[in-house]
Amino acid sequence: MSAPKRTNPRTESLKRLVSCLLASLVVALMWGPQEGSFGNFWFGITQSIFKPRVLVFLALGVVLFLVISFWPKVVPYLTRPGVGPLVSGGVTVLAAQTLMHWGDGIGDSKFGTVATAVSNTPGIAPLTKAFFGWLCWVMLAVIFVLAALAIVRGIKVLAWVAAGLSLVAAVIAYVAHHSVVTYAHLLDHSLGVYVEIIGYLVIITAAVVTALSSAEMAEGRVAVNRVLGWRPGLPLVVLGLVVGLLAFASATWFSPQNFNATMSDTHERFRGTGLAPLAVQYLIWLGWTLFAVTTLVGAAAAYLRNRVLGWVAAAGGAISVVLTLITIYDFSKLAGQLHVDSATGPWQNLGAGGWMACGAFFLIGAGGFIAATAHGSVREALARAADSDVVASGRAASTQFLSAPGAMRSGIMLAIAVALFYPPTATGFWQSVLVSEIGIYVLLAIGLNVVVGWAGLLDLGFIAFYAIGSYTTAYLVGSLPIKPPSWLHMSPLLAIPFAVAICLLAGLALGAPTLRLRGDYLAIVTLGFGEIIRIVAVNADGVTNGSRGPDTQVPHPVIHLGPIHITWGLNQLQYWYLLLVFVVIVLLAFRRLENSRIGRAWAAIREDEVAAQATGINTFQIKLLAFAIGASTSGLAGVFFASQVGFFNPDNFVLNNSILVVAYVVFGGMGSLPGAMAGAALLTWLPEFLKDQVPAADRQMWIGAVVLAMMIFRPGGLLPARRRAIELRGFDGAGSQPRAVPASEGM
Amino acid sequence: MTDFMSYLVLGITRGSMYALIALGYTLVYGVLQLINFAHSEVFMSGAFGSYAIVHLLVGDGKGTPAWAVPFVLIAGILSGAITAAAIAWTLERVAYRPLRKRGAPKLAFLISAIGASFFLSQLAGKLFGRLTSNSFPAFWDQNHIIFHLFGAPVRTLQIVIVGSAVVMMLFLDRLVSSTKLGRSIRAVSEDAPTAALMGIDIDKTISRTFIIGGLLGGAAGFLFGLNFSLGNTMGFLPGVKAFAAAVLGGIGNIRGAMIGGLVLGIVENMVPVVHIDTSWTDVVAFVVLVLVLMFRPTGILGERLGRAA
Repeated sequence: MSAPKRTNPRTESLKRLVSCLLASLVVALMWGPQEGSFGNFWFGITQSIFKPRVLVFLALGVVLFLVISFWPKVVPYLTRPGVGPLVSGGVTVLAAQTLMHWGDGIGDSKFGTVATAVSNTPGIAPLTKAFFGWLCWVMLAVIFVLAALAIVRGIKVLAWVAAGLSLVAAVIAYVAHHSVVTYAHLLDHSLGVYVEIIGYLVIITAAVVTALSSAEMAEGRVAVNRVLGWRPGLPLVVLGLVVGLLAFASATWFSPQNFNATMSDTHERFRGTGLAPLAVQYLIWLGWTLFAVTTLVGAAAAYLRNRVLGWVAAAGGAISVVLTLITIYDFSKLAGQLHVDSATGPWQNLGAGGWMACGAFFLIGAGGFIAATAHGSVREALARAADSDVVASGRAASTQFLSAPGAMRSGIMLAIAVALFYPPTATGFWQSVLVSEIGIYVLLAIGLNVVVGWAGLLDLGFIAFYAIGSYTTAYLVGSLPIKPPSWLHMSPLLAIPFAVAICLLAGLALGAPTLRLRGDYLAIVTLGFGEIIRIVAVNADGVTNGSRGPDTQVPHPVIHLGPIHITWGLNQLQYWYLLLVFVVIVLLAFRRLENSRIGRAWAAIREDEVAAQATGINTFQIKLLAFAIGASTSGLAGVFFASQVGFFNPDNFVLNNSILVVAYVVFGGMGSLPGAMAGAALLTWLPEFLKDQVPAADRQMWIGAVVLAMMIFRPGGLLPARRRAIELRGFDGAGSQPRAVPASEGM
Repeated sequence: MTDFMSYLVLGITRGSMYALIALGYTLVYGVLQLINFAHSEVFMSGAFGSYAIVHLLVGDGKGTPAWAVPFVLIAGILSGAITAAAIAWTLERVAYRPLRKRGAPKLAFLISAIGASFFLSQLAGKLFGRLTSNSFPAFWDQNHIIFHLFGAPVRTLQIVIVGSAVVMMLFLDRLVSSTKLGRSIRAVSEDAPTAALMGIDIDKTISRTFIIGGLLGGAAGFLFGLNFSLGNTMGFLPGVKAFAAAVLGGIGNIRGAMIGGLVLGIVENMVPVVHIDTSWTDVVAFVVLVLVLMFRPTGILGERLGRAA
C-alpha cells in the first residue's frame, strides 16, 4: 500500500544475501543430525552449525542468492520451449534415484540400499551392476546437459540425440530393475523404476519439443491443452496401451513363495489343475485379444471421433475388466484350494499384473467413453472459437490448466482408475495408511470444505462431530458402558442414519446460538466446542468409559441384504472400497450443491455477508445449513472410523486434528472439491512418506515448513476453486485489461 | 473465604500472564484483522530465550546471592522479550508479508501461521529436546510467602508476575495512547488505506506491532516458565486460552485483552470453589466465553483498537 521506496541496489542485494544465508542456516538446523536437550542447551545447534557440513548449506544459500539476483537474465531461457519438461523430468528422475523404493525386501528398499546389495551380489548381469553402480547417474547427467545445451543453443540434432539416449536410459533402468527383482525372487511393490521411466519420458518430451519447435517462447499450458484436446480420449487410450503392455508382457500375475509368474508363467503353473476354462482361455489368448481389440477400437473411436465406436470401446473395456477379475479370482481361488503357499482363499498371492490389466482396460474403456461423449462439447468449443467476439476468452481459457475439451474428465477417469486398481497392489502398510489416514481425512476435508471453503465460516472444532459420530456408533452397537435398549441395538452400517442425524442436530445446536457471531468469534467458539466434546468424552466415565474409549470392540461392518452377504474383517482393502463408496456418494451429492442456489448463496455470504443479506438471502439459515451439512459428513466419517478401528479413545479427537483438517482444506484450495481432496490426500500421505526420509520426530516440522512455503508461494492453494481463481485474477487470464464478462462465466 | 482468596490470587497470577499473551493477539488483530496463530510459538520462544540466558547467568542456580536475584529476573524478562520479538518480526516477514503483498484470502494467512507454528515448535523440539517438563534453575526461593491476603498466602513469584505484568501493561497503554508509534498503530487499525495516505508507513507499523506483541509474549513466556514448566509444546494451551481471553475482552481492544485475560484466569481458578472437579476447568472456561459472547457478541469491552485506547 505504501509507495515503493527508492533503495540503494547494493544494500538491497546485501539484504538478499543475508536472508539467503540465514535461510540456509535454518535448513542446516532442520537437517541437523543431533537432538539437543535442556541439560546441554546448545548441543543441537553446535552440532548443526559449527561443523564443516554447514558449508554445504551456506553454498546452497549463495547459489540461491545468485539465482535470485540473476533471475532476469535466466528468465528468457526459462521460457524457451522444452525447459519446463526438462527440469521437471530431471527432478523426477533424481527423486526416483534418491527417495523412491526400488525393490521391496532389500533393506529399506531405497535406491542406495538396492545398489549396495547389487554390487555385493556376484553373478548378476553386468549391465544391471553398471546401472546401479554408476551408469544411472552418468546417463542422467549426460542427458540433462545435452538437452540443456540443445535448448539453450537451439541445436536440433543434439535434442534428437538426447531424446534417443533418454529412451535407452529408460529401457536400461527397466531391464536392470527387472533383473534385480527376478534374481532375488521378490514380490515387488516398489514404484521407483516406474517413476524413473516417467521422468525419462518427460525428458524425451522436452527434447522432442525442442527439436520440433521453431518458436522462441514456449506457451506450455497451451501446448499441453492442444495435445490433450486434439482427440479427446486418446491420451487415456495411449496410457491404457502402455499400462496394458507392461501388464501382459512383464508384470507379475501370481507370486506364490516369491515366485514371480508373468501371465504366461501363470498359465504354465496351473496347467492340468482343473482351472476353469474361461480363466485358461484368458491366460492363453483371450486376454491379449481383448487388449488388442479394445485398444484398436478405443484408438479408432478417439481418432475418428466416432460415437458408436466410442460406446463399443467403453463396453469392451468394462467387459474386459470383469473378465480379468473373474480370471484372477478363479486362479487365486484354485491356488487356495491347492494350498499353494498356505493360501487360504481367493485374492491372495496376486502380483500387480492382473490389477494393472484391469486398470488398462478401464483406461481404454474410459477413453472410448470420453470419445463418445465429448463429441458435442468439441463442436461447441469449435463454434465458440469461430465466434470472433470470444476468441480472446477462448485463448484465455486455453491457458488455464486442463481446460481442453475432455481433459478434466480424463483426469477424473484416471483418478478413478488409480483409486480402484492401485490399492490392491500396494503393501499392507500403505493399504492401512490409505484407509485410516488418507481416506478418512479426505472424507472429512470434503465435509469441512462446505463450511470453510464454500460458506467461508472458520470452524476449528470440526473433529467434534467426527467424535460424536464415532461415539454414537459405539453406543448403538452396545460398546459403551451405557447400553441402548435392545430394540435399538444394531450393526455399524445401520447406525449411519442415526449418527448422521445426531451430528446434524449437534451442528444445528452449535450453530444456532453462535452463527450470528462474526468470523473470528466463531473460530474460538467452535474451537471451544471441540474441546468441550473431547473433555466430556474423557470425563464422563459412566457414559463413554473415559479416556480408555469404548470397553468392548465396535464390530466391523456387515451387510446381509437378501442374497448379498459381505463381512468386513481385518483386510484393509475391503474398507478402502467401502470408503470409496462413501466418498463417491458424498461427492455426487455435493457436486450438485456447489452451483445450486444454495451454493451460490454460500459464495455470496463468503464474499460479503452484508451484501448477501441485502439481496434477500437469509444468511443465518444458509450458514446453519452449511454447518449442518459439514457436521453430518463428519458424522459419516465417524461411523466408518469407529467400525474400522474397533477401539478408539478421546485422544483421536484432539484439537490438533481439527486444525489439521482446516489446513488440508485451505492447502488444497479453498472451495474446490478436488482441491480439498488433493490437499487432504497429500498432507496425510506426506508424514508416511517422510517416515523413510527424516527422523520420525521431525516429520511435523517438515510438514509445517511445506504448508508455510505453499501458502507463501501459492496462497490460493494446490488446486484453487475456479470461482475463486476468477475472483483473484479477474476473468481475463492475464488480468491485463478489464473486459466484459462472457456469458458462460457469469454467475 | 481463605480458599476463595487463595484461588483468587492464583487466578490473578495466571490471568495476568494470559493478559500479556492476549495483548499480542489483540494488537496484531488490530492492525491486520487476523488471528496470529503462531503467537503461541512466539511465547514459547521467549521462554526458551530466557532460559538460555538465565542458565548462562546462574548455572544450576545453587548459591546465587540474594542481591543478584532481581538482576537475573530482569535479564530473564529482557532476554525472553527480545528473543520473542525477533521471532515475531521474522514471522511477520516470512509468513505474513508475502501473503499480504499478494492479496491472499484471509484463511491463507491462518494456514501459513499454523504452518509456521508447527514448524517453530518442532524445530525448537529438535534443537533443544522434546521433553515437556523442563524447569528453570532454582536460583531463588520463589515460593516464599511474603504476606497473607485475607488468609491467602501470597508468594514472591506471584508478586513478581503480577507486578511486572502491570508495569508492562501500563507501559503499553502509554505507548499506544501517546507516542507517535502508538498513534500510527491506532491509525492503521482504524483504517489502513487512509493511514497510508496520511503518510504512515504501514509495513513498518505492522512490523513494529508484531515486535511489541512479541516483547510482551516473550516476557510472559519467561514468567510462565518460572511458574510452571517449559518445553517445545508449552505454547499451545496458553496460546489458545489467551486467544480466548482476547476474544472475551473484545478482539482488537487493548484494555479488553487485559481484562479478558484476568477474567479468564480467575474463572479457571475459581472452578474448584464452586465444587466442580478441576478436570472440567476448560469446559467451564469455554462455556463462560460462549455465554459472554452470546450476550455481548463483541466481547466485554467491544472491538476496535483505535476507539478504546
